[in-house]
Amino acid sequence: MNIKFKIFIGLFLLCISLNAQNKTDSLYINVSLKFNKEDFKLNANYVSTQNDTLSFETVKFYLTGFQLEFKDQSTYTENNSYHLIDVENPETMQFSIANHINKEITSIKFKIGVDSLASVSGALEGDLDATKGMYWAWQSGLINFKIEGQSPSCKTRKNKFQFHVGGYLEPYYSMKSIEIPIIKSQIPNNKINLVLDLGKLFSEISLKETNTIMIPGKEAMKIADLTTKIFSIE
Amino acid sequence: MGFGIFIFGIFSFSKWYSTPIYLDIPKDWPKPVYDFSKNPLTEEGFQLGRNLFYDPILSRDNTISCASCHLQQTGFTHVDHDLSHGIEGRIGIRNSSTLMNLAWSKTFMWDGGVNHLDVQFIHPITSEVEMDETMENVVKKLQEIPKYQELYKKAFGTDKITGQLTLKALSQFVVMLTTSNSKYDKVVRKEEKFTEMEQKGYDLFKQHCASCHKEPLFTSDNFENNGLAIDSTLNDFGRMRITQDIKDKQKFKAPTLRNAQFTFPYMHDGRFKTLNDVIKHYNSDIENSPTLAKQLQKPMNLSDNDRTDLVAFLKTLTDKEFLFNPRFSFPKENN
Repeated sequence: MNIKFKIFIGLFLLCISLNAQNKTDSLYINVSLKFNKEDFKLNANYVSTQNDTLSFETVKFYLTGFQLEFKDQSTYTENNSYHLIDVENPETMQFSIANHINKEITSIKFKIGVDSLASVSGALEGDLDATKGMYWAWQSGLINFKIEGQSPSCKTRKNKFQFHVGGYLEPYYSMKSIEIPIIKSQIPNNKINLVLDLGKLFSEISLKETNTIMIPGKEAMKIADLTTKIFSIE
Repeated sequence: MGFGIFIFGIFSFSKWYSTPIYLDIPKDWPKPVYDFSKNPLTEEGFQLGRNLFYDPILSRDNTISCASCHLQQTGFTHVDHDLSHGIEGRIGIRNSSTLMNLAWSKTFMWDGGVNHLDVQFIHPITSEVEMDETMENVVKKLQEIPKYQELYKKAFGTDKITGQLTLKALSQFVVMLTTSNSKYDKVVRKEEKFTEMEQKGYDLFKQHCASCHKEPLFTSDNFENNGLAIDSTLNDFGRMRITQDIKDKQKFKAPTLRNAQFTFPYMHDGRFKTLNDVIKHYNSDIENSPTLAKQLQKPMNLSDNDRTDLVAFLKTLTDKEFLFNPRFSFPKENN
């Protein structure tokens, strides 16, 4: 092994450790799911307040455009802020949105779904890559929120329900903004615990009547509106 | 000193050389729609895209390639098939589109549902009746093949294959499929002359057809209802499925007429076998409905001779150099 290569490896390791150092200072979002306050698991059975028994196979959604507001009224905006949360992959449930935040955060803003620019910009990378299975094929645009599962209430093939909520063109532009106030004690160890209660969503949906939404439109907009009400910080 | 070596190391490891290429824009043509700044063309990217286009690896059971339904010699469409068959012989609902001059196209598919060339390819790859594959699995399969690792490295400087790079490479090939060397083009450039019949046909064309099949691309890229009766075995309402607007009922993209001599059968469902059938439809078989194109509301009243002249003109849109250009054909040298 020659000296140049040793120096190279040494510097490389130094870089990695510096990087790791940064990571401990980062502000993380930790996403967890519930169903009417129960812990959420894929393929487990739940009963909604509509009396539908249901289980979930897929829950995937985009959280994007993260912004923080500070006590001194200044703000922080994450660059290139596109995060795909896929309940099947636990590593997607926690992600960093900022380095070195040393001001007091008073609220967090983000969007459910992706902006229209992402939906008209061709092939994209990272969490927006077409391999992530969130790209609509016959009608361009990304799916913002994908929920699939089964319920005996659905008189569909294999009792399936499928909600592919998306749409980037007005009047069916389905990206939704939300803002949640935050207090200091809600950020232990630089982590914000963002909780999504799917029970709240399915308390507003009767699976007997509404079980398949695969295109942008009025029905998708209704679901998109409902998703703004299921997030909280614990 | 050590840091300098480190920087040098980074450069020598990351540098790769690719050969920029450019799309030729024929004289007096409009500016292309495709944004090349987001996907700079290179010879290596083009060749990667060409390999992908002709490789059945894109389909679930490795039987169907893009070229299965898009054959070069027929303007990159599926000649003689009203509806194309994909994986396991499954039949789709529409006639396969031609692939020509797509650098100038704002939307894709007969209903314009696709808004960017890069993401067009997701449709045939994932469609259950075409290739029935997932983008995730395509990338996984490609990643295991040394030939593709090398082609991606040459094209993009990385052998880490992604969906984005795969789609961009396909775009680099397809966006280069320019046809601009037909007899018509040569007449426009004053290199050749129309025969008397062709000239008469051209005059009729300008009068009756050119508003939707606009020169020089021979498409307006817009959606129109051209008076076809609904085929009750398909019940295809076209553009309305995308916009959910009743005003778009039965509207389909006006296709380019370049190389139309070889792109039969015609219309979104391939219902007409010959150019003569097509002209007969426009001349006397238009079905009226609330969304019918304004231009088609008055009958054309063409005589038999007029119809023959019009066909003679349409044949001047044939560009043999394009249809037989070896640069666009199956990439033998890489196999």
